[in-house]
Amino acid sequence: MANSKKYWKGIEQLKETAAFQDSSNKEFSEQLPIEEFLGDENSLGDAGTTRRDFLKYLGFGLAAASLAACETPVTKAIPYLNKPEEITPGIANYYATTFYDGLDYCPILVKTREGRPIFIKGNVESSLTKGEINARVNSSVLSLYDNTRLKSPMINGEEATWVSIDNRLGKELKSAKNIKVLANTIISPSTKSIIGKLLNDDLINQTVSNNFIQYDSISYSGMLDANLESFNKRAIPTYNLDKAKSIVSVGADFLAGWLDSLQYNVGYASGRNPEKEWMSKHFQFEANMSLTGTNADVRIPVKPSEYGSIIGSLYNKVAVKVGANKIIVTALNKVHDRRLNEVAEHLLLHKGESVVFCGSNDKSIQLLVNGLNNLLGNYGKTIDIEKTSYVRQGSDKMFTELVKEMESGSVDALLIYGVDPVFTSGEAFKKALKKVKTSVSFAVKMNETSAECKYVCPDNHFLESWNDALPVDGHYSLAQPTISQLFDTRQAQESMMKWAGVDGSYYQFIKSSWETTIFPQSGSLMFTDFWNKTLHDGVVDVKTPLNRISIVSPFSIDVNSVANNISKQKSTGIELVLYIKEGIGDGLSSDNPILQELPDPVSKITWDNYVTMNPSEMENAGYNVQLGQESPANIISVTANGTSLELPVVSQPGQAKGTIGIALGYGKNVGKMADPTGKNAFPFVLRDQDGNISYTTSALVTDIDGTYPIAITQMQHTVMGRDSIIRETTLDVFKDGDKSDFNPSHTLIGHKDGKSVNVITKEFNIWGKDQPVEKIGHRWGMSIDLNTCTGCGACVTACNIENNIAIIGKDEMRRGRSMHWLRIDRYYASEYQDAGDIAGTLEKTKEAEDVGTTFGYKHMEDPADNPLVVHQPMMCQHCNHAGCETVCPVAATTHSNEGLNMMTYNRCIGTRYCANNCAYKVRRFNWYNYTAYKKFSEFNPSQDDLGRMVLNPDVVVRSRGVMEKCSMCVQSIQAAKLQAKIAGKPVEDGDVDCACSSVCGSGAIVFGDLNDTKSKVRAGMENDRAYRVIEEKGQEPNIFYQTKVRNLASSKTTKNHGHS
Amino acid sequence: MHKEAAIREPLILGDDVTYSKITADVLHAIEHEPTKLWKVLMTIATITALWGIGCILYLVGTGIGTWGLNNTMGWAWDITNFVWWVGIGHAGTLISAVLLLFRQKWRMAINRPAEAMTIFAVFMAGTFPLVHMGRVWMAYWVFPLPNQFGSLWVNFNSPLLWDVFAISTYMSVSLVFWYIGLIPDFATVRDRASKPVQKLMYSLMSFGWTGNAKAWQRFEEVSLVLAGLATPLVFSVHSIVSMDFATSIVPGWHSTIFPPYFVAGAVFSGFAMVQTLMLIARKAMRLEYIITVKHIEYMNIVIIVTGGIVGVAYCTEFFIGWYTGVQYESYVYMSAGAATGPYAWAFWSLIFCNFINPAFLWFKKIRTSLTATFIIALIINIGMWFERFDIIVTCLSRDYLPSTWTMFFPTWVDLGVFIGTIGIFSVFYLLFLKYFPVLALNEVKTILKSSGERYKNMSDEDFKQLHPVFKTDIKVTNDTNNKDNEETTD
Repeated sequence: MANSKKYWKGIEQLKETAAFQDSSNKEFSEQLPIEEFLGDENSLGDAGTTRRDFLKYLGFGLAAASLAACETPVTKAIPYLNKPEEITPGIANYYATTFYDGLDYCPILVKTREGRPIFIKGNVESSLTKGEINARVNSSVLSLYDNTRLKSPMINGEEATWVSIDNRLGKELKSAKNIKVLANTIISPSTKSIIGKLLNDDLINQTVSNNFIQYDSISYSGMLDANLESFNKRAIPTYNLDKAKSIVSVGADFLAGWLDSLQYNVGYASGRNPEKEWMSKHFQFEANMSLTGTNADVRIPVKPSEYGSIIGSLYNKVAVKVGANKIIVTALNKVHDRRLNEVAEHLLLHKGESVVFCGSNDKSIQLLVNGLNNLLGNYGKTIDIEKTSYVRQGSDKMFTELVKEMESGSVDALLIYGVDPVFTSGEAFKKALKKVKTSVSFAVKMNETSAECKYVCPDNHFLESWNDALPVDGHYSLAQPTISQLFDTRQAQESMMKWAGVDGSYYQFIKSSWETTIFPQSGSLMFTDFWNKTLHDGVVDVKTPLNRISIVSPFSIDVNSVANNISKQKSTGIELVLYIKEGIGDGLSSDNPILQELPDPVSKITWDNYVTMNPSEMENAGYNVQLGQESPANIISVTANGTSLELPVVSQPGQAKGTIGIALGYGKNVGKMADPTGKNAFPFVLRDQDGNISYTTSALVTDIDGTYPIAITQMQHTVMGRDSIIRETTLDVFKDGDKSDFNPSHTLIGHKDGKSVNVITKEFNIWGKDQPVEKIGHRWGMSIDLNTCTGCGACVTACNIENNIAIIGKDEMRRGRSMHWLRIDRYYASEYQDAGDIAGTLEKTKEAEDVGTTFGYKHMEDPADNPLVVHQPMMCQHCNHAGCETVCPVAATTHSNEGLNMMTYNRCIGTRYCANNCAYKVRRFNWYNYTAYKKFSEFNPSQDDLGRMVLNPDVVVRSRGVMEKCSMCVQSIQAAKLQAKIAGKPVEDGDVDCACSSVCGSGAIVFGDLNDTKSKVRAGMENDRAYRVIEEKGQEPNIFYQTKVRNLASSKTTKNHGHS
Repeated sequence: MHKEAAIREPLILGDDVTYSKITADVLHAIEHEPTKLWKVLMTIATITALWGIGCILYLVGTGIGTWGLNNTMGWAWDITNFVWWVGIGHAGTLISAVLLLFRQKWRMAINRPAEAMTIFAVFMAGTFPLVHMGRVWMAYWVFPLPNQFGSLWVNFNSPLLWDVFAISTYMSVSLVFWYIGLIPDFATVRDRASKPVQKLMYSLMSFGWTGNAKAWQRFEEVSLVLAGLATPLVFSVHSIVSMDFATSIVPGWHSTIFPPYFVAGAVFSGFAMVQTLMLIARKAMRLEYIITVKHIEYMNIVIIVTGGIVGVAYCTEFFIGWYTGVQYESYVYMSAGAATGPYAWAFWSLIFCNFINPAFLWFKKIRTSLTATFIIALIINIGMWFERFDIIVTCLSRDYLPSTWTMFFPTWVDLGVFIGTIGIFSVFYLLFLKYFPVLALNEVKTILKSSGERYKNMSDEDFKQLHPVFKTDIKVTNDTNNKDNEETTD
């Protein structure tokens, strides 16, 4: 039936005439006269333009011209011609490699995207560092893309080719009789053997070579020499801090840069868990307030000249109890003496379970420390002298001899690798270097020393290099390149191989030497398997270490004569203590803007070094104590050791009176900045005739007119008695009391039956108690343990790199516009804040000062002279009832159904209302276009094509005028969810990690799914110590903090108002 | 026994005041070359305005970083200035709308310039939330516009959004109200204009007003309806502005008394600004006989009342700060913002300007003294700026986490934009004084004869001489009789 119907438009179609068929095939029914019109020039010329046409053409022309004028941004994307097998665009690859720069040894995992390393985290496979990493190491990825790196070899300051270098230098080295190699401590066996081949010297089996000089920019010679004298072995022992119940450190900043600080951090953190059977007690004697000092249970400020007598007195107090002979020591003042009794008592209680450290570079003091540790029976238990660490082997004496030899002109050739002695040891070396005929520098970047060298043979960046390492007996690690070299550089080892006449590549050299030396110890069957596995893991532990020199003689030192040496030392005037900062280190990599912008963990100052001084002494001298944006520091001149520097003076609560501190490692130019950042304090380092180095010296301080602006990120130092921000308790209360004693629920005063009652703040919840959504699916959150967080700042730099956070420079930092998504708040206790009782501060202040509330508050703002310190990592709290979300007019910040507080950059119009309404002040506004504005071009790597290569392609670079903040690394969450989806299984605990938690080796920051009952973060949330910051505002954050527990006696039970 | 109603003091002073005199005086500026004073003021104002526009362009071109704000201080001078200007923009509509509903005849002498001030002040106020945005070019996103992005919509929870609605509504209603009032007066100017361009312009602006009875009747009705519409807006605008603070959790902002307190504060500052401008204008334009000391005194009384409310609000805030026992609130009121904090100077400035200073107006001698009034009003204007500065900057500078406590330091751009808006405002106001009928002259004429004292004391002869129209012996015995019933055009 349906077929019988036919529709037609006209008779022509019905009949299907030929004319119809013809026309239906045409696009236009009539022939358009295009040909005629365009073909005939006359008609075309005659066709006048009407007014309307003119307007049309004008309009079109205008639109076309303006469209053409709008330049489309050029985005460069170069596709692979042949896709490398291991690279899938959009998927990250991880490579295990090793970082060692003479200061830190750290096995690392490098994240690469499309062949570019973009993130570094610690390698958890390592039994030494267990994933611990610090700011210096994880931000070293940026130095790879430093456009000011050396891009080709140079001869006499002019660009050269490797061929000409090899020809000229090869000849010079052949004719040279006295070749010396000056390097940082070399822990790479392969490098050592290549240097040996170059020097015709067997360095592996011979401990000392006169031609190979190892030089540590921060010297540990005194300790090494003391150990040589004590145990017949010039080495650093390994410390088992996880077994140490009593830790005494005299001037050793062992958590931040002192020796193997990364490994100490791991052990220390495991001993600081109050939930375990025991928690270590940490005593710290020091002059400067160090990062380690801020973490100590008991910190006693002392002058560095007292270090010897403190160790001596401790020795005597212990000796009396264990029945050893006493030694002669300079008497200490009574206060110190009383505190020492307490320390000695605790040490004796934990004999064989304690460690005594000393940061002094004085051999006599270190001998006495060894004696004390020996008395306490720590050797073989907490201190392992058999299994030694190789990360410091430098000798002050050998370096001094080298300089003398150079001065005499007898050194024909000097190869300098990994060190910058002109910067770290000063003018004498510079002068001597001029007398060396052939000087070669392997610097990655032009530095003070390479500028003086005849040949500059730029080394590869460590991320472009092969290498191996033996940091500690029995532990080996490999380093592999993660990117092909960016510039015309050559790895120093390959250069040396070439000059020594060794064939092949350095990679082959390492592989074959491992096959002959390390592989046999490993117990593996196949070398290829062993090699591949080691390369994959990055680290390997072998059972029978080859290098162990098992002949360690027992301790037999005449401590009395040592003590005599110490007691002769006298100090006069103000004592200057030189220290290294956690972020800057010895300064060899301080040109990294991320590190410069990382606030010092203690002073919270960025982009500068300065003189630290006790606040009360500063007040007496009339210096400005309270720094701020428009409240600059006074400048003083410090004279010591024949040189003087003009530096700003900054108050440091806890600084021992009569001492000042200055950080080393500053005075380098960052990026393209014209002026150096900070001032080089290495000239203050004291050297005696034998070349022994001391980092403490007496100094003269004089006033200079003028002020200096300081970029400080935290201006108010105390927590103002607000115990809903920081909660802390003492170990006895934590052990004996219940939750209401050490972590009570927050209450507010309410009314019931006409009486005022305390009501738990949760009762005031206006949102309704049941939030069913929060229990479905994922709810991402964090747990942060204030007890294990040392405040090191590795998480801050990691967050910077992962999330493409802008570098804004000193001036903007000074204006309080830090872009850090994650910051670490550091609070000092006020004079009236007792350990474990923050809430009572105001009452105590009012009582003690006899002032009202108003002036009580005023007094609470001043930190105590020697305050207790707490570090609190602070980032977006991802509140379930977030203040920021409700106030945004355009709904640019919203809540995800997985508990994340999200920020839609594209939608943000920048009213900053959200930031105002954020109780935690963690939102960051893009005040300028940081990636283009001229103010930032000198130091912001994002304004440089090469520097931009470090950017994480998963995270957008925010534009001007939008708000940004911690996203809990939502890109990682998404990636993990996708992966789980492909694998067809739910996301499991540990699949996702944030940048901050992934670099927190001490495990203070834990990230995970709060709805996953088996997750670590859930355990953290349900822990008795867990609390949320400013819980009483009812914002229900997803970040849980754990109460800090100090290993002290509660002030409530002892009624002791003073605190340590 | 006193049989007559008490005779009110005349609202317009002087024996020789006639309708034509009023017309001539009010339109003097329009019909004559600008005075030297006007030219000087206009030059200064234009330079300042251009400077301000330059600062705004620099700000928008470079970034909000050119202001002194920081991570803790998301707002400072920008919103301070915004609230200050909005507050100033309160008096005009209150005078014209609320006083119209309450049949306060004295409003007629001052409503036109006060309304003009309102319009320009709200315009200036609107500038700040606009330019304070990080991305001004996306500002239209605050409107619930239909879009092709699916469910992309504004956040109706945000007080900032309601700010947009409240201020734009207030702005448009005030503008319409003001313009409606201007129409008959524009017609008067048109009728008297001799230059063709002038005539054309004013006839366009007067919408063909004929002045017939029907037109007047509609005019009255529209005025009444608009007054009814504008009255709640007077209260809503500043209530909603106050919610920017009151609904937040910042200690010191989070306060339930903010809406009434802000409205009172706004009227307070608005009247002070009216005083400041009016005292200059009446002198310069020789309109002392229309804007009399009586008007000044009435407005001073409004200032006393609203200033009192503001004072009580201050005390309440301190009491609640103490009474709640919340340590953050307590800290803000006991220390940070008050006597001892780093912003103590701002706090004490506020207390002096807004608490002590207006108290002098309780003395009749002072509140009827023009010089004293001018000084006090000027100080109140400054004080009200400090009030907003105190609320915004002090509270933000020291909120929950002590680690984030900081200070605010303005930059030259902060200053430039603020001064610039004063310049732009002045340009508008000076243009208004020159080209617009500064007073509602047709309305003013309705109250010319409301004062019967003169007539009462007049002999019949005199009366007849003055008004020869009256053939019969009508002698006005009561001032209420002719007060409301006279509709006279020139």
